[in-house]
Amino acid sequence: MNDEQLNQLFQAARGSRPDTSRAEYGFETRLLAALRENRGQPTPWAALTWRLTPVFAAIVVVTGVWSYNVQSQTGAEAALGAGSETVPVGLMGGE
Amino acid sequence: MSAPINEPTDQRLIESTLAGDDEAFAALVARHKRKVFGIAARFARNDAELQDISQEIFVKAYRKLKSFRGDAPFEHWVSRIAVRSCYDFLRATRHDRENVPLDGIEIGTQPSGNAEHAREVLQWALVRLTSDERLVITLLELEERSVRETAELTGWSESNVKVRAFRARQALKKILEASHER
Repeated sequence: MNDEQLNQLFQAARGSRPDTSRAEYGFETRLLAALRENRGQPTPWAALTWRLTPVFAAIVVVTGVWSYNVQSQTGAEAALGAGSETVPVGLMGGE
Repeated sequence: MSAPINEPTDQRLIESTLAGDDEAFAALVARHKRKVFGIAARFARNDAELQDISQEIFVKAYRKLKSFRGDAPFEHWVSRIAVRSCYDFLRATRHDRENVPLDGIEIGTQPSGNAEHAREVLQWALVRLTSDERLVITLLELEERSVRETAELTGWSESNVKVRAFRARQALKKILEASHER
């Protein structure tokens, strides 16, 4: 097939516009109904945020537990550190 | 599209829509639906798909209406949304389209003058092109848009449109030749 034949095919096809009148009938009414229906629903982003709530809650709990562990560990190390400082002082006193 | 005397302009209908008047949007849709349906019909396979694509286009237009600045007519703005929605639709349904049978369609290298037959032949061949190729051929050759208009509608550069159009024509010729040889 050469360019001229292809152009002839395009030209012939241009002459036939698809009839859309049946699909157009009452379109505005259906569209407005769809818009009103969509308006009541949350936007996809808001819906996704709600769906991710358990994940965020789990992150908060894990962070809280980790933070509590770190704090108590630091407190124990500090107490241990303070205790180890007194031992040599006692020993140095010859007791 | 310019509004007849005594009918509100597109700009006026847009302002009313943004103020919460849905009927104004319905009037805007009624004024421009023929154009949008015309674009969508080049890509839809049946009335149901045509309705779905057209609805998607106007829902997008409604949501983006705040961003319409009025630099270009509303018709151009909504056509751009239509073309991009059709492109998304083509990409989403590409795999469904590849196995369309050649039922009762005779493909010859001498195209007949019958417009309906030519449209069927082209329709059959176009589904075998990539989404990009089909879009550019439809806009340039069937809708008779200029390269510049096609570039504006698709968001591609003009040189990109020309390159894609050239490749699309080559691909289309190969498809039609191969079908003729069968």
